[in-house]
Amino acid sequence: MENKNINEIYSLAMNEIQQSEDTNKLQELKIKFLAKKSVLSSLMSELANLPPEERKEFGKNLNDVRNRISEELAKKEAELRKNELDKKLKSETIDITLPSRKVELGGQNPFYVVKDEITDIFLNMGFEVADGPEVETDLFNFELLNIPKDHPARDMQDTFYISDNVLLRTHTSPVQAHVMQEANGKPIRIICPGKTYRRDDDDATHSHQFAQIEGLVIDKNINIGHLKATLELFAKKMFGEKREIRLRPSYFPFTEPSVEVDITCANCGGKGCSMCKGTGYIEILGGGMVHPNVLKMNGYDPDEYSGFAFGIGIERVAILRFGIDDIRRFYQNDVRFLHQYRRKA
Amino acid sequence: MLVSVKELKKYVDLNDLTSEEIANGLTFAGIEVEEVSKLASGTNLVIGHILECEKHPDSDHLHVLKVDLGDKVEQIVCGAPNARKGLKVIVARVGAKLPGGEIKASSIRGVESNGMCCSLLELGVDSKYLSEKQTSGIEELPESAPIGEKDVLGYLGLDDEVLNLKILANRPDLLSLYNVAKEVGAIFNRKVNIPTFKVDDNFKTDLVVGSKTDKCLQFAGREINDIVIKDSPKFMKEALRAMGIRSINNIVDIGNYVMLLTGQPLHMYDKDKLDKHELIAKDDLSVNFVALDEKTYEVIPGDIVITCNNKAMCLGGVMGSKECAVDDKTKNIYIESAFFDGASIRHTSSRLGLSSESSSRFVKGTNRYQALDVINFASYLIKEYCEGKKFSNIVNYLDKPEVVREIKCSTKRINNRLGTEFSKEEMMSVLNKLHFDVKDSSSDEFLVKVPSFRLDVFNEADISEEIIRLLGFDHVKSVLPTLDVRVGGLTTQQYRLRQIRESLRGIGLDECLTYSLLSKENSKKFNLLNDEEHYELLNPLTDEREVFRTHILYALLESASYNFNRQNKDLALFETSNMVSLSSRSEHLAIVLCGNYLKRELMEKEPYDFYHMKGIVEDIFTLLGIEQSRYRFERYSSDKDELHPGKSAKIIFQNECVGVFGELHPVALKSLGLKGNVIVLEMNLDPLLNSKVTISKMSPISKFPSVNRDLAFIINKDVAASDIIKLVKKNGNSLVKDVKIFDVYEGENIFKGFKSVAISISLSKEGTLTDKEINDTLDKIKFELGKVYNAQLRM
Repeated sequence: MENKNINEIYSLAMNEIQQSEDTNKLQELKIKFLAKKSVLSSLMSELANLPPEERKEFGKNLNDVRNRISEELAKKEAELRKNELDKKLKSETIDITLPSRKVELGGQNPFYVVKDEITDIFLNMGFEVADGPEVETDLFNFELLNIPKDHPARDMQDTFYISDNVLLRTHTSPVQAHVMQEANGKPIRIICPGKTYRRDDDDATHSHQFAQIEGLVIDKNINIGHLKATLELFAKKMFGEKREIRLRPSYFPFTEPSVEVDITCANCGGKGCSMCKGTGYIEILGGGMVHPNVLKMNGYDPDEYSGFAFGIGIERVAILRFGIDDIRRFYQNDVRFLHQYRRKA
Repeated sequence: MLVSVKELKKYVDLNDLTSEEIANGLTFAGIEVEEVSKLASGTNLVIGHILECEKHPDSDHLHVLKVDLGDKVEQIVCGAPNARKGLKVIVARVGAKLPGGEIKASSIRGVESNGMCCSLLELGVDSKYLSEKQTSGIEELPESAPIGEKDVLGYLGLDDEVLNLKILANRPDLLSLYNVAKEVGAIFNRKVNIPTFKVDDNFKTDLVVGSKTDKCLQFAGREINDIVIKDSPKFMKEALRAMGIRSINNIVDIGNYVMLLTGQPLHMYDKDKLDKHELIAKDDLSVNFVALDEKTYEVIPGDIVITCNNKAMCLGGVMGSKECAVDDKTKNIYIESAFFDGASIRHTSSRLGLSSESSSRFVKGTNRYQALDVINFASYLIKEYCEGKKFSNIVNYLDKPEVVREIKCSTKRINNRLGTEFSKEEMMSVLNKLHFDVKDSSSDEFLVKVPSFRLDVFNEADISEEIIRLLGFDHVKSVLPTLDVRVGGLTTQQYRLRQIRESLRGIGLDECLTYSLLSKENSKKFNLLNDEEHYELLNPLTDEREVFRTHILYALLESASYNFNRQNKDLALFETSNMVSLSSRSEHLAIVLCGNYLKRELMEKEPYDFYHMKGIVEDIFTLLGIEQSRYRFERYSSDKDELHPGKSAKIIFQNECVGVFGELHPVALKSLGLKGNVIVLEMNLDPLLNSKVTISKMSPISKFPSVNRDLAFIINKDVAASDIIKLVKKNGNSLVKDVKIFDVYEGENIFKGFKSVAISISLSKEGTLTDKEINDTLDKIKFELGKVYNAQLRM
């Protein structure tokens, strides 16, 4: 009879637990079935009245039921708590497409993108970065570079003068002379990025201010092959592995032989298109073997030392690389332009 | 230099090559051909004869023509006013391709038209070579023109192509078609035939030539009598037209033609207009000179003038005088071939704003040793085309006889320079083709004699260039130099600058680039560090750009205005740049903050203020490892209305002011066309980049928790936050590790002149803090705040 009662209580408890919808209800059930005044507890008090042989069996059953109800309550409670949390979290759902909260990475004038990248390419080849004044003397800007007074080559570079002998440098080449004089006859491997100035009216393709990166290597037994290989490496790093270079003879007073360096057109890959005017090549820089007179004037014996030098137009490379339509854009700093160059190359 | 391909082919056999191939060859030998153009073009052309010319029934200016084309008669509607019966004309048949498009059969106002009568303009001839009559109507061909002739361009001498050569400063010799021919011959390995002429003298002249200046080292003259001025021969007109010079008359054209071919400018004097039979070069005259163009020029000492009886008859190499100019009636002439110093011609020509084909040749350099050949060539042409009969002997003044340049060359050294493996024979053969005289001297060496027309070759390096430009850079082996291993890389200063730039971008500032040249007026604006000693240009292009700036800020503010005017009003701009003043060079940084600090597009914004900029400055110091104790901010004052007097500061580092920043003064804001809050900074980074920084050892992190206590009090408005913090730390019984201000409030409920300040004090020690220790410390702080600043605690 008692066992039957126990089973009834068990079924009732299970049923009520299953139907509970919140943790408060579970609390009530806990009290109802397991607390001191619960049905199970009152049955427990009857235990003493049973004959000893039944007592053990009944006691075991009672405990069993008690444990199972307790387990079920815990299980149900966990289940309800999880549901409640899920519901709460669901109600907190946000629109993940709303704009982010961040400090936006600053934009960069593409001028610096190119300047830093070219600098890094040569740093990785073991070059150092030299520096020279933008206000120069006639001596360094011209004379020490084999461009004496009244040399016709001076007409190639219209100059801003500060006095008869002081001027704004028209190219970064005077840094060659400074570095050679400071190096005291030792080998040299430098680049020099810097601003330069020429007396040109500003328009889409001309600018009174522009920048170059000068390169200079002096050592024993340097030849054009070294220049070619160095610039090949540069062109591939800067414009892509598929780019080839081509040397064309040219003239600069401070190099002999002098070359113009063309690179296969990135737009057509060398087949010829409107960008390269059908030639398949685009002119990117000038260079050559350091003129013996320049070596001599700056403290090197041309019979012992030789060297190569080159000059790269920073804006020109940026214009080619990014398809920039007007050189004046570099100097306007329209933020809509700058913000196009946030990524690091 | 414009080169007529037709003329070029007279001296080198190039018939199997197209003009493009010739141009390509030149370009890869270092003589860039900028353009290959046709003098005129048109297919399906024919010479026609107008048989009938009726008025168009439905137009007041059109004519309906019947034109005999040899093989048939076509009806053509023509709008030219000079169309008339009997005229020989150029007809473009249906299907002809002209520079302006293709000719199609059409109906013009109801009348059928099969072709077009052409002007030379319509065939693409430059209008500068055409008369007004030629540009306003169809071309009128002579009576003798053969009807049905299909090679119309050939008949007109317009079947020529022109190479536009870019002559670099080292190759003035290429301003001569003969020398271009020699070059082309060497490139394509062709024989070159330059004719030489000699016209023997048949009387002795009494002309005296000479020079009283070292700017004229050679002067040759010849007297030629009984010439007849008339039209030039057809071939000469055509050659001149192709090479960019307009035909005038036979004698002027001969001068130009000889110059284009030989590179030597000539000058002709009307002998009968001269006082005396002498031509002397001088450079010490001060006179007003009336030139051929009838304008008066001021000649000053230094200018080369050719004088007769001490009167200026010619501005040497630049322009002749009106007084002795050759005209239609001239019978007897002196012809001059001289050498003038390029620098001097350059000065004269640029001072007077006068330049010509002739002056530009002297400026670049001419060959003074060919004068006799040149005069003989001109004499020959004068004999042929000016009916000249009497030729005198040639008188020549030559300062120094020719010294042939000899260069000793080594095959090995040249190969070493070029990175090539050419044989001696290959080298010698190239030089021979270029008209150098080469002599073998040993197994490695050879001796080179430079021809007099090559003004650019002096040493072995120059010879190596001749070799490589002809044999091609493809022969150069590309090898990376093997150099000593050593550390390249950036210097500490360069590296620090790079870090500053990158971190500024990281906190959202845009990196800008601005011009270094400013107007005088603007160079004084926002020069917050007061570097007044700037360089000024002698020859600025405009007064907007005449001063070399010593600060960045003004230019950066201009960029801010530029953006502001384009509705971009939230700005954070910076630039670093090397500044040069009369006394120093230093690396500067400028920053402009404007509008809102973008936290979240338009949803949440916070306006930039003084403290943003202060934070950036502190970050820069932190980045370089410079501790806060090594620099400080001080109030900035200035009598200029540039910065807000209450919201600006100086940055003091190592006891010098290295920077100034603050909010723009309302007056400055207005003058720049900006609105709202604009915060600016100008800083000299040099002291920071060069500062010594010690490696900071790790300071121990306490195992014991710290205790935070907040205090709020009312205090006089003028007490600086830094003074409050200083006082709290000083009286903190060494337990106070940090003091932070977390609220400052003025306004409602606070008496005027006072502010409410709330601070958070962090206390700790190596051990557990007792309540007593904490309370004693706070009591002391409260007491001192009250004593020193009259602060009243808020509950």
